[in-house]
Amino acid sequence: MSMLKVNGTEHDVRSSPDTPLLYVLRNELGIMTPKFGCGMAQCGACSVLLDGAEMRACITPVAAAEGKEVTTVEGLPARWAKQRNLSAQTAQDTLHPVQEAWVEEQVPQCGICQFGMMIKVTELLEANPKPTDADIKAALTTSGPSPHLCRCASYAAILDGVHHAARLMAKGAK
Amino acid sequence: MSTPDTVFSIYGATLNRRSFLVASGSLVVALGMKPAASNTVAAPTNSLDATQPSSWIEIHADNTLVIRTGKCDFGQSSIYTAYRQIVAEELDVPVEAITTVISGDTDRTPDGGGTFGLLRTNVMNLRKAAAYTREAALELAARNLGVPRTQLKIANGVIAGGGKSVTYGALVAGESLQLTIPVRGNLTDFGGLQVAGDPPLKPTSSYTVVGQPIKNPSLRPKMSGEALWVNDVKLPGMLHARVVHPATLGSTLVSAGKVDKSQFPNTQVVVIGNLVGVLAPDEWEVILAAQVVGANTKWSEWKGLPGHRNLLEHLQSKVDWNEIPAAKGAQAGDAVAASAKASKTHSGTYFVPYHKHAPISPTVSLADVKPNGSVTLHTHSQNPQFLRMAIAKMLGRPETDVVIRTYPGASHFGRSNGGNAGSEDEAVLLSRAVGKPVRVQWMRPDDMQWSTQSSASMSKIRISLDEKGKIQTYQADHSGPPMQDDRPIGALLAGLPTIEAPGPNNASRLHSTTMNVADRWVYTEVPNVAEAGHGTYQIGQRESAIGVGLRDHSMRTPIQFQQNFPREAAISEAAALAGADPIQFRIDHTKEERFKTILARLREESGWQTRPSPAPSAGAKESKILRGQGASIMLRDNGYWACACHVAVTPETGEVRVERLTIVVDPGIVVNPLQLKRQVQAGSLMGVSQALHEEVMFDEGAITSTHWGTYPILTMAEMPEVKVVIAGRPEFGVYGQGSESANALAAPAIVAAFFDATGRPARRIPLRPEYVKSVLAS
Ligand code: FES
Ligand code: FES
Repeated sequence: MSMLKVNGTEHDVRSSPDTPLLYVLRNELGIMTPKFGCGMAQCGACSVLLDGAEMRACITPVAAAEGKEVTTVEGLPARWAKQRNLSAQTAQDTLHPVQEAWVEEQVPQCGICQFGMMIKVTELLEANPKPTDADIKAALTTSGPSPHLCRCASYAAILDGVHHAARLMAKGAK
Repeated sequence: MSTPDTVFSIYGATLNRRSFLVASGSLVVALGMKPAASNTVAAPTNSLDATQPSSWIEIHADNTLVIRTGKCDFGQSSIYTAYRQIVAEELDVPVEAITTVISGDTDRTPDGGGTFGLLRTNVMNLRKAAAYTREAALELAARNLGVPRTQLKIANGVIAGGGKSVTYGALVAGESLQLTIPVRGNLTDFGGLQVAGDPPLKPTSSYTVVGQPIKNPSLRPKMSGEALWVNDVKLPGMLHARVVHPATLGSTLVSAGKVDKSQFPNTQVVVIGNLVGVLAPDEWEVILAAQVVGANTKWSEWKGLPGHRNLLEHLQSKVDWNEIPAAKGAQAGDAVAASAKASKTHSGTYFVPYHKHAPISPTVSLADVKPNGSVTLHTHSQNPQFLRMAIAKMLGRPETDVVIRTYPGASHFGRSNGGNAGSEDEAVLLSRAVGKPVRVQWMRPDDMQWSTQSSASMSKIRISLDEKGKIQTYQADHSGPPMQDDRPIGALLAGLPTIEAPGPNNASRLHSTTMNVADRWVYTEVPNVAEAGHGTYQIGQRESAIGVGLRDHSMRTPIQFQQNFPREAAISEAAALAGADPIQFRIDHTKEERFKTILARLREESGWQTRPSPAPSAGAKESKILRGQGASIMLRDNGYWACACHVAVTPETGEVRVERLTIVVDPGIVVNPLQLKRQVQAGSLMGVSQALHEEVMFDEGAITSTHWGTYPILTMAEMPEVKVVIAGRPEFGVYGQGSESANALAAPAIVAAFFDATGRPARRIPLRPEYVKSVLAS
């Protein structure tokens, strides 16, 4: 039994310590936005934030997440609310600016890769609130264990989405 | 329950009213009888939940509407955007009034059919259903208001005239109305049911809702994490399963591996013919156990594939192209005689390799087979009714035993337009075997090795010019394996019944080995044209002990991609032979004004330099980077497309980068410019991916592209600047299609740009460094 903190809530976990975090989140805790894509750290569909850093849940044993804070797309609104001292109600009623931008810019095609994309972009924007195109491409291609892949090739929309999210976050920061 | 009274009939539709009063009230549009055989109900009545009328359109007293379609969403958004817009348009209601779209589920939607040609033919069901409904509503309003029908008009959901008015909602309040409309076809056939008859359609010139950039309402619940994806479905008491697939595409099972119960206490192995399933309540346990079982399962040896490196040579010299009768494409004049008199001739052999649909998330399905034989299958399918037929056939049970429920999932671009994408039938067979619900998730290698692929193709093109550089003859011979194998893989492995493999005598035209010419001929100024298609069987299928081999399936613009690529690449080379600018050369060889218009627009929008290829800098020895421009065009489903790519080639490394991609589309009526732009951007970039990277690798027995390392796709860093120009021509009154067409344009424009940059023709894709260096060295 290990203790796992996900999206602000602590859970006792029954799965064996070698179980990849992805299966613990999905099957034991019912947190479904991290998706199975490759199981080999090649695509980014399973990305989550571990203490604010994007990592691949498909190859990370749950034991390695113990004592750290896991954030998934489900937890992004609360993360934003906490960062900006917004009320708990606001956190419930609104999306994180990255999610909002993804909807407003109509970024997804099928959408299956976009949870991992939004996690990676959240990591980027928290460190670099006004990224250039080159910064965005580097974040989603060379900064992690593999590029974040989109088979639908929604990359042009993702670029628009990141810039839009950066604008929303800058507005929210005032 | 009271029997309904007929109120009236209109354009072949009949309005019935139940004589009791209801609290809320509704009008539903229901299946009619087949006009030709009025004794047979078109759909088996028990395929549909009687408490949930399977109407196309349902109007409620609160002025909200529900629409239902057998088609699904694969990221195109059309059923949530274009379909709502088109129905709203015919009914003259606000698009927001259509609050619910029910799609795919075989027990909750009316018409079946595959998710393809969404705006071409498939939308006609809902469009006509809406037109029938509008006419019936007008008639009903005329009677209720006592105003002649001809004086009534509908705007914004209000039917008004003669100083009186009524909303759709008020018209149905307290009533139980059913409008029965005529249909033809069969629910579980490939194409499903079609709404018959000819209700008057609203003139496209008076459209107001079509053309609006409305957003896709399904995206917010997806991005918030609320939406339930097929990946996320859990059934009470279910087992997780993995399938240990054979060692090669032709192997049979010698002995299945065992599990060590001390290591995997809750795992069981189920063997059905050559289908080996590993099941356990815990997913991680089953993943590890399946690896162990896989490692000690023995398969017979099989070698029946040429290997991807020898594929072109295999097609050129090993296949007997006389086995299947040739098909003809465009024909004009006498190409053979005219080519003998040509002043210059370009001829070349072009090649497109196998491609993978390669969804980001491998296929996953859940099945629950009950002791009484009833089956509920939860999946992500583009043709759920056809899948239902296939599952019933496999089990030898009536179709009425099978219900397919569909969910959002990863796009797979046509792979399941014949029902299955893989895993569905395996889940059913394993659930039946263990008597519990079963979830089969394919791992990445399963999805790469055991799914179908978009088939390879070889084309010989010959273009002859007269002394003025005008094309005198165009001859094309397109040869390749077929494109539509809808046999589910689990049924094949288990040795159970399926529909037939593609063959010359297949009753279904789609499942034939005949190679049709799918690329629409566009160079109508050319006097002599001879296009032919030469088909064969799927490679390795007849040799495989399990009837598998390289199974093929349509992807995006099936066959047209494979035939448009060689045609457009060759036209660019012919333009160079003529000393002509490639865009002007295209304009000069077509009579189609719509092409001339978009090509002229492409020249402006893309920063095109008007000059012949190759570029003056081509072949400059001292250049570290060579740059070039190339163009392509395509006609598909009433959509006129033109594309320009600007590339940079680094001879030393063999790297090709696409720096800019410009695409101009005239789809006739633009239904939704926002969604069209996003689809075109994405579809064309996927085409860049295919052109630069994608080729299915295989050895003599198995596919060796097993993951993203061995089947690389485009990354974000490689993405060019993309410019989409939407140049609609609403006066033509038809809707062209979206991203599937955009997908085919990049490859021929990129090889033309490569030729422009280097002076060397690249007649195959992908332009990987190894191939590029070999072309430059030749
Ligand atoms: S599923 Fe984890 S990186 Fe692909
Ligand atoms: S949107 Fe479909 S894989 Fe990215």
